[in-house]
Amino acid sequence: MHSDTLIARARDGDKNAQGKLVQLWYKRIYNYSYKFFFDHDLAMEAAQKTFISMHRNVGGLQDCGKFKSWLYTIAVNYCREELRKNKSNRSVSLHDLKPGEGEDSYRWEESRNRSENPESQLRHTELSDLLQKCLTELPPEQREVVIMKEYEGLKFREIADVLNISENTVKSRMYYALDELKRILDRKQITKESIGYEL
Amino acid sequence: MNYKPDENTLIAYLYGELDEKEQEKLTQYFQEHPEELKHVQALAQARDIMGAINDKEVIAPPVFMDDHSHGRPIWQSATVRWGTAIAASFLFLMVAAKLIGMEIYYSQGEARITFGKKEAVPVQTDAVSRLTVDQVQTMIRSSLVKNNEFIAARWADNQRKLDESIRNRLDVNSKKTEDMMKNASLASQEQIRSFVDGLQNENLRSMKDYLQLSSAEQKKYVESLLVDFSKYLQEQRNQDLTLFQTRMSSMERNTDQFKQETEQILSGIISSSAGKKENNY
Repeated sequence: MHSDTLIARARDGDKNAQGKLVQLWYKRIYNYSYKFFFDHDLAMEAAQKTFISMHRNVGGLQDCGKFKSWLYTIAVNYCREELRKNKSNRSVSLHDLKPGEGEDSYRWEESRNRSENPESQLRHTELSDLLQKCLTELPPEQREVVIMKEYEGLKFREIADVLNISENTVKSRMYYALDELKRILDRKQITKESIGYEL
Repeated sequence: MNYKPDENTLIAYLYGELDEKEQEKLTQYFQEHPEELKHVQALAQARDIMGAINDKEVIAPPVFMDDHSHGRPIWQSATVRWGTAIAASFLFLMVAAKLIGMEIYYSQGEARITFGKKEAVPVQTDAVSRLTVDQVQTMIRSSLVKNNEFIAARWADNQRKLDESIRNRLDVNSKKTEDMMKNASLASQEQIRSFVDGLQNENLRSMKDYLQLSSAEQKKYVESLLVDFSKYLQEQRNQDLTLFQTRMSSMERNTDQFKQETEQILSGIISSSAGKKENNY
């Protein structure tokens, strides 16, 4: 995605390099936060705070090779902080208001591939949201691991570094998370076949 | 086979991160435990289903970053701030010192800090330096003489007091000793008498006991001696009888043997005489 040179330049105070890093990593951090909260506003908040923190502290980064883990660590911490705040002060995002059904849904706009059949896009988005809800039913510590492994493609070692826990603990959390997800999916009667039909 | 994979191994298997050896072990385990394999497959299916979550498209916000290091005025730099702070502290200290009238002196290795007005210290004249050596010696001598006299007087006084005290103590002690002696002499006659009586009684009792004990023991001894003697006699008698019987039987045997020999001799003689007669005929 980017070379160590870019990170080294950003570390040395190069504003263009820092801007470039934001462009490169914003989507990943936003999506991590979005999957964690299933809330656009909270995800935006956490992502912005993460990059402000990156801008302030990147000068102190010692090993450029650990940039990814370092950035995810910041994101994880802000997500946890937002989760704590959100627990005490519950609010509903406009984005999460009932989107309506069929053609009235604003989720037409969120389709990932405009060239696809609009109906298929809508179904895809709805299925994604349904699964996303299943994900939010997991305890936060298991959710973090699942998102980082399944959607962000981090290795177990990297996740262990980000969360500052052992690799075995990460694997253990992953196992119980998948087990729990299996139970949630069974409860909601979501199977591979039904997904195949939806898609 | 006691092998049972833990959740870490199962997850590593699910993500294809197991080494060949472990993989083989696990495959064998799954062959023996198909229900475990089914469970792992269900987890893999859950993974597949969850993979249908899409990434949200998002546009990174424009980055406006202020450059702290270049645009900052010089008076806001850390060095200037520190310098100003130190200078202000010194100034404050100097004003405070002026207000409270603090002064600091240093002369001939001596430092002094004073507050308020300086008071004149009275100068001491050096009286000692006017005295001559003879005068000092005379003073020391007279002082020593006075001191000796004082000590001698005090010693004599102490000696006298000590003598008096010893004398008094001796008188008191001798009186006490005499009293004790008197009491002891009065008490001793009765005590001796009772002691001697006690001693006589004790001796008498012990003699009596001894005699009784010795007569009883002698009696026992004599009895046992007599019993032993009678046993001895009986034993001797038995032995004599046995000996006599043995001898008698021996004599009997000898007699029988003699008898037999005699008979044999006689029969021999008879047979030899009968033979001679037949030859003669």
